[in-house]
Formats: sequence, C-alpha cells, structure tokens
Amino acid sequence: MEKLQNELFRDYLVKKSGLTDVEWQQILPELKCREVKKGEVLVEPGVSFPYFFFVEKGLLRFYSLDKDGKEHIVQFAPENWFVGDRNGAYCGTPTEFWIDVLEDSTVIVLDKYFIEKIESISPSFRKANEGLLQNHIRLLQQRINMLLSATAEQRYLSFIQLYPNLTLRVPQWMIASYLGITPESLSRVRRKLAEQYKRKKN
Amino acid sequence: MSYRKIERLVTPGEFHFVGDGFKVHNFVPGDTGLDQRRMDPFVMLDYNAPMEVKASDGKPKGVGPHPHRGFETVTIAYKGNVAHHDSHGGGGVIGEGDVQWMTAASGVLHKEYYSEAFNKQGGIFQMVQLWVNLPAKDKMSTPKYQSIENANMPKVTLADGKSYVEVIAGEYVGNKGPASTFTPIHLLNAKLQKGGHADFDFPENYTVAIIAIDGNATINGEQKIKTNQLALLDRSATDFSISAEENAVILILAGEPIGEPIASYGPFVMNTKDEIITAMNDFNVGKFGFLED
Repeated sequence: MEKLQNELFRDYLVKKSGLTDVEWQQILPELKCREVKKGEVLVEPGVSFPYFFFVEKGLLRFYSLDKDGKEHIVQFAPENWFVGDRNGAYCGTPTEFWIDVLEDSTVIVLDKYFIEKIESISPSFRKANEGLLQNHIRLLQQRINMLLSATAEQRYLSFIQLYPNLTLRVPQWMIASYLGITPESLSRVRRKLAEQYKRKKN
Repeated sequence: MSYRKIERLVTPGEFHFVGDGFKVHNFVPGDTGLDQRRMDPFVMLDYNAPMEVKASDGKPKGVGPHPHRGFETVTIAYKGNVAHHDSHGGGGVIGEGDVQWMTAASGVLHKEYYSEAFNKQGGIFQMVQLWVNLPAKDKMSTPKYQSIENANMPKVTLADGKSYVEVIAGEYVGNKGPASTFTPIHLLNAKLQKGGHADFDFPENYTVAIIAIDGNATINGEQKIKTNQLALLDRSATDFSISAEENAVILILAGEPIGEPIASYGPFVMNTKDEIITAMNDFNVGKFGFLED
C-alpha cells in the first residue's frame, strides 16, 4: 500500500534516530509537506532561501550555472535524501545555486528552527543528526577528492554505488555533468565496461 | 449460453511522452483494475492513439538506448513506421501492419524511433506496445528478436466474406500465427467490415482484453466499446463475440496467467526485489552490452 504524506519522513526518522511515536506526534503539527512538479524551480541564485528539503518521493537536482550557462550538478536528491543550500538555510546569505525538480516529487520543507525543535523534543535525534552531518561532510570530502584525482571510470563506478537507480531516471548528460566529464567521455566509459564484461564472458 | 462480459471498460485519459516521439496512454498497469496481477501475463500496455507526425529533416524522434530484462516487448504498428536497434544485434524497421517481438529475457539495451523515411515524409502514427511477462525459468534466457511481417500472418475470412481475423501469435480456428511465445498467448487483429462478426473462445482462466483500435463495436451483442477504449473481459465463461457497428479494427489479447510473483521496477520485470537490484547493477556495469545513442 502506498504510504501517506509524512509517513516516509517519519519512517526515516524512526530508522535513523529511534524517534518515538510520542515525539512524532509533537513534531507533526509543524511539519510542512509540498507536492512539487517536474520542471519547477525551488531555489535560485541571489536569494537567501531559509529552507531545505527532505525528498519523500521523486527527484530534485542541486546545481550551479557558470558564466557560459553550463550546468554543474553538485547533488541529486532522490528518495530519503536531504538537499539544501547552507547559505540561506543556516547563514542567512544569498545562494549561488539552483534547486529544481526532475520528477514530480513530494518533499518535506525544513528549516533550522524546525530541526532545533526536533532536537529539543528528541535527544536521540540530536545525536543521530550529528552523525548525519558527519556523514554528509565525509561524502563531500570523498566527492571533492574524486573530482580532483579520479579517472572518469572511477567517478562513474562511485556514482552507481551511491545512486544505483539514477542511470534509469536521468539523462546521460546530467550524469556526466555530476561526474565533471563530457557525455562523450561517459559514453566511452560505459562502452569499455560492456566490452570488458563481454570479453570476460567469452 | 454464457459469455465473457466486460469487467472494466477504460477510456484513454492523460497521455505522456515516452522519449520525444511516442505520445502514449498507459492502460496497464496504470489504470485502476488493470494491475499486473490481474492482467498476468501482460505486464504493461501503452497505446499511442493516432497522432500526426510532421515531416522533418532532423534526427528522427523516439526513445534512446534503455535496458529491459525479464520479459518481451511487442510493438504493433497500425500507422507509421518504427525503427529498432538492440545491443544483441536485433534491429530493423516495421511498417503498417507489422509487429516486432523482442525477447529481452536476460537483458538488452534497445532504442526505438521513427524510421528515416517516415521522419522525412511525416504522417499518421499509431502503435501499441505490449510487454509480455516471461516465466521464471525463461527470464534469464538468451535475448532474441522476431520481425513479423504482416504478409506472414494468416488471415482467417469470416462469414461475411470481407471481414477477417489476422493471427500474430497463438491461433484462431486452427490457424497459427508466426510469433513464437514462451507461454500460451493469442494476439489477434479482427479487421471487420460494418456488420462483420467474429466469435472467440479461450480457456476460462485466461486473461482477455480487447482494444478498439479503430471503429465502434459491440461485445456479445449487448455491451459497447468505442474507438480507443480498452475492455477487460471477465473470467465467467470461455466465449465472446465482437460485432462491428462500422468498419473496425479490434486488437484481441488473450494469455494464460503465469501465476508467479511479480517484482517490477521501470524497465525490469522479475520475480523478487533482489532480482531487480541485480538487474540494476548488471545494467550499470555494462552486462546488458552497449548501444550508441
């Protein structure tokens, strides 16, 4: 049976932090859930946007545009991912990023006050949230290192570990943009992997 | 005598694009009452109602390389042409009245788009794409491709001497269609003149549905089906009849349910969630081969 709005967020919190039913009931009245449509722009540069998102269903994209209008995808946010710009959400400064919607999505709209409220209600969430933050920084460190030093093939193999089903959900050029390589280079990587498998099989 | 009756009559609603060339209404498994369990062995059915394609010198529209595993894709061309290529070496162009039957089985990448000639001249485009599930023992068999030309389909003339039933797969009154199938499937086109009449019978447990590709018709002399509608017939009997109120083309699908668990995600139809995850990983690391866009 399909889950109702908010239930997936609750499941996530219960799984990650052991949030209790009583704590959830205290949080629920202030929870903001939004249905957003494919193509909708949620955040754009130059604005201080105080919110970030948890994706219950669907797919968002977090990216920048360079002076030539080329997109650079920093993060995809499929189900159970958080996405947001720290400038607006925590520092009150204007963002330099875009967030838009790649698939019709259901998102929970969060801000720092709401997170503080959950932390005040649930000590176990406070601890879990710190763990999530450390994990987020760890992943960012890995991603920076990957972009500085890894081959196109290593970047692709890392991508399919992190986002196993996105190869079915986004076009090749977006994956290439995320990996910091050209679509042609991505195509060569995939061809090489297929040929390697074929040789091994024969 | 009792007849199979209409259990559900569905009129196409919202359409969506598959790639940039196919404007389809999804009947299965999208519409209420047409879920994969009830429609077993037919796990997906998209209908591209007649639409005009403008002549173009650009790249033919369609859908780029994408994977499939665990089932067969069956494309029936009613108007216009479709070209197809797959990573297993299958490919070709099917024209009006032809059918392509691709057994994805253990996994292929394929792409489908308007043929060069059709793209250049434009015209009316009308197709059905059906996914036929495979039993567990055949899901990982070797992929294959059957191009079925209309000329090779038996045409069984009906009582009025002008109407006929065309056999794509399975049989009609002893006339066998050219498509080879893994489980019992009957895929027929009834091409009826106004007043034409055809009788059908399939085992009671079979899943049976009809689509009015062109023209209005009456089922068992009492229930109506209009152009572009799909009627799912119940399992209360073996027989039913179709009578044309005007010149009509009616697609008849009948299949023996496979009766196994279905786990499906996007282009993969397997028996378990673990098999879906394996399919995804295999696709990502190149085990389905490679196909240039």
